[in-house]
Amino acid sequence: MAKQYDVLFRLLLLGDSGVGKTCLLCRFTDNEFHPSHISTIGVDFKMKTLLIDGIKVRIQIWDTAGQERYQTITKQYYRRAQGIFLVYDITSERSFQHIMKWASDVDEYAPEKVQKILVGNKSDEVEKRQVATAQGIKLATAYGMDFFETSAFTNHNITETFTRLAEQVLAANKRDLDLLRISINDEINLAALEEEEGLRECAGGDQDKSCWC
Amino acid sequence: MDQSAAISKTLENEENCTIVSFILVFLFVFRLVTSQVEVKIFIYKNRRMAITAEDVSLEDIIPISFDFAVAEGELLSCGSDITVRMSYQQEELNFKLPFGSHSRLFLSELNRAWSGKSYNNIKKVCKSPAVVPNFEWINKYQKNSKSLGVGKQVPAPLGTPLNKLSQQRKTGLFFIPEMTTCVHQFSQGITSREDRDELVRSSSHTPSNKAQILAMPQFGLRDNLIRCELLKNEEQYTYLEDFSFFLGTYNVNGQTPKESLRPWLSCTLNPPDVYCVGFQELDLSKEAFFFNDTPKEPEWTKAVSEALHPDATYALVKLVRLVGIMLILYVKKEHAEFISDVEAESVGTGIMGRMGNKGAVAIRFHFHNSNICVVNSHLAAHIEEYERRNQDFKDICARMEFHQLDNSRPPFTIIKHDVVFWIGDLNYRISNLDVKDVKELISKKDFEALHNYDQLKRQIDEEAVFVGFVEGEINFQPTYKYDTGSDTWDTSEKCRVPAWCDRILWKGKNITQQHYQSHMALKISDHKPVSSLLVTGRINSETYKKTFEEIVRNIDKLENECIPSVTLSKQEFHFKDVKYMQHQAETLTLYNDGQVPCQFEFIQKPNESTYCKSWLTANPHKGFIAQGGSVDIELEVFVNHMTAPNLNSGKEQIEDILVLHLERGKDYFISVSGNYLPSCYGTSLRLLCLMREPIHDMPPGTIETLTNGNDMNAENPLAIPKELWMMVDHLFRHAIKQEDIFQQPGLRSDFAEIRDCLDTGMPDSLPGSNHSVAEALLLFLDALPEPVVPYSFYQQCLDCCSNASHCEKVISMLPQCHQNVFNYLTAFLRELLKHTANNRLDVNILSTIFASLILKPPTKQDFAEKRKTQEFFYYFLNPESSTAQTSV
Repeated sequence: MAKQYDVLFRLLLLGDSGVGKTCLLCRFTDNEFHPSHISTIGVDFKMKTLLIDGIKVRIQIWDTAGQERYQTITKQYYRRAQGIFLVYDITSERSFQHIMKWASDVDEYAPEKVQKILVGNKSDEVEKRQVATAQGIKLATAYGMDFFETSAFTNHNITETFTRLAEQVLAANKRDLDLLRISINDEINLAALEEEEGLRECAGGDQDKSCWC
Repeated sequence: MDQSAAISKTLENEENCTIVSFILVFLFVFRLVTSQVEVKIFIYKNRRMAITAEDVSLEDIIPISFDFAVAEGELLSCGSDITVRMSYQQEELNFKLPFGSHSRLFLSELNRAWSGKSYNNIKKVCKSPAVVPNFEWINKYQKNSKSLGVGKQVPAPLGTPLNKLSQQRKTGLFFIPEMTTCVHQFSQGITSREDRDELVRSSSHTPSNKAQILAMPQFGLRDNLIRCELLKNEEQYTYLEDFSFFLGTYNVNGQTPKESLRPWLSCTLNPPDVYCVGFQELDLSKEAFFFNDTPKEPEWTKAVSEALHPDATYALVKLVRLVGIMLILYVKKEHAEFISDVEAESVGTGIMGRMGNKGAVAIRFHFHNSNICVVNSHLAAHIEEYERRNQDFKDICARMEFHQLDNSRPPFTIIKHDVVFWIGDLNYRISNLDVKDVKELISKKDFEALHNYDQLKRQIDEEAVFVGFVEGEINFQPTYKYDTGSDTWDTSEKCRVPAWCDRILWKGKNITQQHYQSHMALKISDHKPVSSLLVTGRINSETYKKTFEEIVRNIDKLENECIPSVTLSKQEFHFKDVKYMQHQAETLTLYNDGQVPCQFEFIQKPNESTYCKSWLTANPHKGFIAQGGSVDIELEVFVNHMTAPNLNSGKEQIEDILVLHLERGKDYFISVSGNYLPSCYGTSLRLLCLMREPIHDMPPGTIETLTNGNDMNAENPLAIPKELWMMVDHLFRHAIKQEDIFQQPGLRSDFAEIRDCLDTGMPDSLPGSNHSVAEALLLFLDALPEPVVPYSFYQQCLDCCSNASHCEKVISMLPQCHQNVFNYLTAFLRELLKHTANNRLDVNILSTIFASLILKPPTKQDFAEKRKTQEFFYYFLNPESSTAQTSV
């Protein structure tokens, strides 16, 4: 049977300015890549539907401004997220070191159950690499997170990364999932039932038998 | 249920009204009606569900003109009512709309009309100022409403009784507000409802609606859209002639399998993918009937499995039996993994409508992307009982229920399956034809003619049974009734008329029959077995997945495109050289580049009470932008006495980030920065006394250091701030006899010059008129972070206001610089009073003006307190009265 459930999750992209958060999102949702860097000044989001274990998962992915001066504001968006991508740029040692700061902010501001995943972006820029894959793995292990090296440019590991986090969030929320499920058929039946009842009531109270039904 | 017809009747035809939206909630009905360029909301009242025009009465008409406003409350949760507040002139109307597309449509149309009014039509009106919407056409409704009025005798005058409406709403009366809007293309005279609907559909609000509804899971619209798209692209992922189902039915008349079933089950050239083999009358014994237990089950199962097509290996998926009715499902081994959700059920329709001698068994399963159900039934016997057989069929359909893994979902019935195979001894006979004639037609192999006398065919033609099912053409002779062990027709006493009792039917799409035949070679029973090979188009899961993903991606894309979006002319604003009380503004232009209209608002940041710092305002701070439209927002910086102290001292900077939020959309951050030039305005007396240089000449950081108390010049402060001295001295020298001094306002431009002068240097005289200098002095006193009489002394001053010596005593206790300033100012004012004849000042005027600046309360002041502060100050301006008081 085709399941008619809908589950909605919010995932958040975090990381220094310029690591490629917006590019990851554009690649994932629209399969597009724009090489020029336009800073996100604000908080943007896009929707995406995934099928995980036969469950239709709709994810809302929030793309945040990475610049430091906006961080006091962007932190306020953390608490609404169920999953967080911590993104660094493999060609920037600095962005990698800042992951610690991002992670501690997440600990402070995000809900306790939030799922995290470490992402080293720009894996195609081999020559400019400053952060070894092993370093990424080590950090991810220390935090108990999954780790992916991605390239929005070559579309490497993009779907895998997003799907993985969505799966983790799904697993972490499995118990509450039944509450989140909405059966469309039931909804319609219910609506029809209510309508019928409404009509019956009206018919009872009204002498006009021809009615409007 | 549409109540709009009733309202339509009350409207005049020539107005070209178009129903754009129609909502029902507790009998609140909203509707948009268009007429030329004028826009109104009609509010109707009704006693009950509106059926005829008599059921509604016009309650009020609200024109959507310039003083109309509408605001939509925040949606608390998906599905909750939408709170809407409309205001018109001084009236406000609050109401709730039910969650849903109708409400959306209404609001978007309302907003369109409203914004159209304010942004577009204004221009039109302005061109010819004489033409102001006059809404003349409404008059006839007001007359009409008299005759229609059920609950109300006299129609309310325009715009007045909104508050009344809210009251009545509370008491549970019902209204039908209605709205007219200005949609130009509607004004050519649309008569038929179809035309209107078409226009409504084609009007530009649809995409926004679609997007919003798309996002609401409870409407299931998304899933329906996906399903719809999948159907459209069916051929892309469906292979025809891919899966073969062998269906066999055999009434074995309680016999044992004495001969091989191969001629029946292995009659196909290629091995079928699935076997569904059904038996009836497997065991006619009482034991089987009462205890549902029979040795025949394993015997026949073994016979079947031995007779399956030799060129393939099969797995037994499920076996189900009800007394003598048995169904076995086999699948080719390689397909086994694609079979899931297998459930078997049975329904007895025998004696008492329950017993298992008649009835059906069924197996349902999920195979690739289809839900398949196989039913094997044995319906009521006897030639005249065809209606009973119809009834059995219906009972089976109604009572056969398969449980789902998810218990919360309703059970699956036969008909809900994508594919249904129905086999069995259906027992329909050939009637209205003599045995002789039947046998003659059979011998001539004229099965087509014979089929016309078949009860099942007739019943199906009458749609009395098997509605929606298909049966292949019958090209075999009747399968009942033979003498056991032979091909001879029944020779018994009863001499039954031959009949096609054993049948195979199906229901579902993409199914073709490859054969439908009986098997005369088998002679165990008085029936002959029947088989059919049905081929179903199966879904290619690979392409299906691809198509599905493609559709989902497109819908996601559509949805993402419908997220409200704007472009901003600038996201960083810098205000250069911000000065005390000098207004600066920059324009931020928002352009709606999205596919939907959007509502924007600057929202509060956490832990902040307002959306921006108090020296900043955005005007307007919220609003609506039509698709493709734009709005200019003025970002204004203005530092006043409230904000100056912290900016002067360097505790705060001109720095803020505004969060511009689009409803159901993204947030934009707008940074505002600037450099502030500190001023003596808003700087404390103590600090000013410590500064021998103009404030602008102070090295950076000095003010902050001084504020914190680490002052190096502490031992040698000025007696009073030099800025104060300059102003007072200027007035003393030039304005002592100036008429109406301190009563006539100064000039803004003069003030800016005086402020700059005080902050940058020490010229011999101040610029500007005497009145401007006087005002600058008052502003200086007003801007002091701590008034001349510090807040902590305020209450004391009030307490002793009736005693002059006490008053003086309080002043003597003030910090030195405050005391100096106080004495200096009062001395100056007394000097002014000596020239009353010229400057027309008196002690009352001066004490009123200066008391409010020098003796300020930390919080609000009531009238009695104000009187006391003036009384207090009075002593110092009028030494005579003060001595008189003390002498008493």
